[in-house]
Amino acid sequence: MVEDVIGTDLLDIQGEKSYHPRTEQLLATARSFLSYKASVVGLVITAIYFIFALVDWVYPAILGIPAATFNNMTTYSPFAIGTISGGINNDGIFRPGLAHGFPYLLGGTIFNFPLLLGMIASLRFDIGYSVLVVFTGAAIGSSVGVIAGYLGRWADELLMRLTDIFFSIPFLILIIAFSLAFTSFFNSSLTAMIVALIIVWWPTYARLSRSLALSTKSLNYVEAATAAGSSKTRNIFYHVFPNVLSPIFVQISLDLGSVILIFATLAFLGVAGSQISNYTFPELGQLISSGSSTFQTTFTGVHLGTPVIWWPIIIPGIFLLIFTVSINLFGDGLRDALDPRLRK
Amino acid sequence: MELKYFILRRSLVIIPTLMGLTVITFILLWGLGPELIYRGINSSPKVNIPLSQQALILSQNGFSAAVVNGKLVFTNPIGMYFNFVSDLFRGNWGYIIGQPLTAPTLQAIEFYFPNTIQLAVGATVMALLIAMPLGTYIGARPNSASDQVGRIFSLSGYALPAFWLGLVLIVLFGNNGTAGFGNGTSGNTPVGIIPYLNIFPYFGNGTEFLSTTAPKGFFSSTFGQTLPTHIFLIDSLIAGKLNYFVIALAHMVLPVATVTYGVLAGILRFIRAGMVDASGQEFVKTARAKGVPEGQVIKKHIRKNALLPTVTVLGLLISGLLGGVVTVEIVFNYKGIGWLAVQAALNYQAWGILAITFLFGIILMVTNLIVDVVYAFMDPRIRY
Repeated sequence: MVEDVIGTDLLDIQGEKSYHPRTEQLLATARSFLSYKASVVGLVITAIYFIFALVDWVYPAILGIPAATFNNMTTYSPFAIGTISGGINNDGIFRPGLAHGFPYLLGGTIFNFPLLLGMIASLRFDIGYSVLVVFTGAAIGSSVGVIAGYLGRWADELLMRLTDIFFSIPFLILIIAFSLAFTSFFNSSLTAMIVALIIVWWPTYARLSRSLALSTKSLNYVEAATAAGSSKTRNIFYHVFPNVLSPIFVQISLDLGSVILIFATLAFLGVAGSQISNYTFPELGQLISSGSSTFQTTFTGVHLGTPVIWWPIIIPGIFLLIFTVSINLFGDGLRDALDPRLRK
Repeated sequence: MELKYFILRRSLVIIPTLMGLTVITFILLWGLGPELIYRGINSSPKVNIPLSQQALILSQNGFSAAVVNGKLVFTNPIGMYFNFVSDLFRGNWGYIIGQPLTAPTLQAIEFYFPNTIQLAVGATVMALLIAMPLGTYIGARPNSASDQVGRIFSLSGYALPAFWLGLVLIVLFGNNGTAGFGNGTSGNTPVGIIPYLNIFPYFGNGTEFLSTTAPKGFFSSTFGQTLPTHIFLIDSLIAGKLNYFVIALAHMVLPVATVTYGVLAGILRFIRAGMVDASGQEFVKTARAKGVPEGQVIKKHIRKNALLPTVTVLGLLISGLLGGVVTVEIVFNYKGIGWLAVQAALNYQAWGILAITFLFGIILMVTNLIVDVVYAFMDPRIRY
């Protein structure tokens, strides 16, 4: 290819090691990314979370979590794990500390579910399904958006009106309503919730990629491709789509954090029905809500533990916060690194 | 384009969006299916009612259902859709039955909505009071230390789940009772772990304690609301009862703080960007060159122009509030519209879910319309 030859020649003249121009570009991006210290920290922490989720998925026994499918409630039963004699206080609550062994380092919920194990076990669900939702949503949304943006006219107008509708309903309400409505259709409240999230999530990507496609399609190289006989389909998938991808990856990295928050919120509200609001299923929001039930029951007169049991609320929440902040930092850094105009 | 044509075009766009909204709500209704909707209508499954009877009850409630092959199914989707749409637009929004209350949906909304307004207005006032000066300060000093602090603050606003923040506030400052604010039946029961500051009630909006003590004409026990505006803060002032006002105010502290933190992040980022944008303009350089003092430049030249795009914050704010109040109302057992929405959803109250989805959609659409029109009015360039 022409630019290959030119690129190599120029680099040879300067006497530096020469790479393929694409590799050069990638290296420049990586160098730029590595110069943002906060983003690198974000990447490292995010990677650790992902590794935990993967290990838990592939071989949970390493982490001391019993191998189980998500449908097997009994294996995660708090009573199966929590029956360690002498580990429980008078009020039946594990307090933080090493006294009860490693899994109880961070204490337990009022149902004697060890927090440390619960938090690590929840990563598989939280990260796994967030990745599923965000990537599916991004794939659907960006394809629709790029096609509509490239075709313009009625396709564009249709897409804009369609996304208008989705943006005009607060998404939490929409997700709750959708996941309820689809439960009987899918015979599973969890599947319904995932589908509902995807339905609510794709319009963001459609809007984003539409606006990117609009600006890309009028660029000279696309016109040149058209003049050279490139068809519409080829234009869309070979010339426009690759140029839309990097902002979409930035959006994906930012959204992974938001979807985990929504999972936690839905579990807290008890929306996904028995499948995740059950106290035997590890999910960060559900762990938090099991903590909160201590003072929600106080109002009805059953005061479980004084002073208030703060660790089942604070600890999983901070665990979640560290992940969302890291992934946001990572996404911010990625955005700056991928946009050459913002490079230092 | 002239302003009136812009307004006309922008208003007409609402019509297809509104129709799409009704289609989506109808899909939700269809997806729920006759069995769940029946469960919402008659929540006592112990009584074994024949399917034909169930179908009859469903059709009495406006759902055309029939028994086909021993299963309850909806019949005539097109007819049902048009019935549904005409019902929606005539304000005939069915009933919520059993859980969380039994009432016509519209009446339930009418009773719960004022509580949400109280929360939303409180949070809006707080958010603007904090964001305006803070955004101006940070925006005038981009990339300074205070800017970095502001960025972390914004980031944490995005990264925090609202319900968790609410719970943390309860753990720190909560008090199960009316806590030193007098007139509480539960008295002072500190729950929060910070001594002396754990005085803030976290259950409801304060009206829960009124049922036994409130004078007649001030409290309606049907829905647990005060009269005449149903907004406890205002009603207590109208009735001249200062102790009630203090109770109402105390109950607002934690929920308002939670909602405010959630919406603040977005607004702060927006105002900061507006300030940075405006400070790069030529007229700012001119003003500085003329020797206008720096404080005046920021106040008169930069902020005035930065506030223009901030009008769009209104749309952002409303959508953030409508989403944000849902979880916050659940955490604090604050009986507003978001609380009603979740309760209705968890109890299969079809009309409750649909009505609130529809209502929120309309509110957001109208807000966006107003924002666009105001923006076009202020900035002629926008009328493309």
